[in-house]
Amino acid sequence: MSAAPKMESKNPLFDKRLINAFVDGVIKTLKTMAYTEVTPGKPFIEAKFIMKGEIAGMVGMVAPPIKGTFLICFDKPAIFAILENMIGEVHTELNSDVSDGVGEMTNMIYGAAKTTLNELGYKFEMAIPSVITGISGAFSISHGHLGATLVIPFNLPNGTIFYIEIAVE
Amino acid sequence: MFPSHTKFLVVDDFATMRKIIKKVLNELGYTNVQEADDGKTALPMIQQALASNQPFEFIISDWNMPGMQGIELLKACKGDPRTKSIPFILVTAESEQKHILEAAKAGVSDYVVKPFNSITLKGKMERVYAKHNPPKAA
Repeated sequence: MSAAPKMESKNPLFDKRLINAFVDGVIKTLKTMAYTEVTPGKPFIEAKFIMKGEIAGMVGMVAPPIKGTFLICFDKPAIFAILENMIGEVHTELNSDVSDGVGEMTNMIYGAAKTTLNELGYKFEMAIPSVITGISGAFSISHGHLGATLVIPFNLPNGTIFYIEIAVE
Repeated sequence: MFPSHTKFLVVDDFATMRKIIKKVLNELGYTNVQEADDGKTALPMIQQALASNQPFEFIISDWNMPGMQGIELLKACKGDPRTKSIPFILVTAESEQKHILEAAKAGVSDYVVKPFNSITLKGKMERVYAKHNPPKAA
């Protein structure tokens, strides 16, 4: 096992291994559970958290001294396409079934990334995700650890894009 | 492999995962499948099924759930002589060694790490069947 990362001297958002762990988690989860090949885009940093999409799964990432939030954000066409592939259900509106699917996907992706990161020396714990819905850009989350945000876009075969966002306090 | 009339209980707080597991079980020919959304709901169902003399014959549970976690449900089942021999698979995003060891120590039959596909679940069920039904000596 590798030595524990020096987190006091390094913002985890700039740790390439953290980015790779989440990218791999997304690719593996979508490929295995939804038979969907996704292509990651170029990651970028936003100074302030702005949630993208119309529905998002969110989970707190706590590994002292790190406190952060992981989100996976979808527009309707993206999440509807994924859920159709994953469970064979066709959705046209955001509802409790869609929210549930987003929650489970958040759980799986965070779990996969967490395992990789903890093998590298981080100490993230598992947490139960929550799901938020609304209009893109109009979200205000007061209790998350939401400062500078790492954003990674993913392209779906149907031409739509979804995002993961990692904000660290 | 387990007979097609085997009675399953699938426990997960996310309906999506219950649907996925149920879909895989149906594809494998198992249609006697009931669901619970956490351990707290599952435990009385297990006891009720015992009382009505139609016990569950296979439990597939998530680990990370509100109310009562899958590992606690596993321990409760293994701690009761009437349910300790029911095959019990944990399906979970927890794939670190410490969790696998904790589950093994608690007596889990096998362990499926999310994300998984139907081939993985089928393979694990075959292993569990072999474990619970060792070949008889000639």
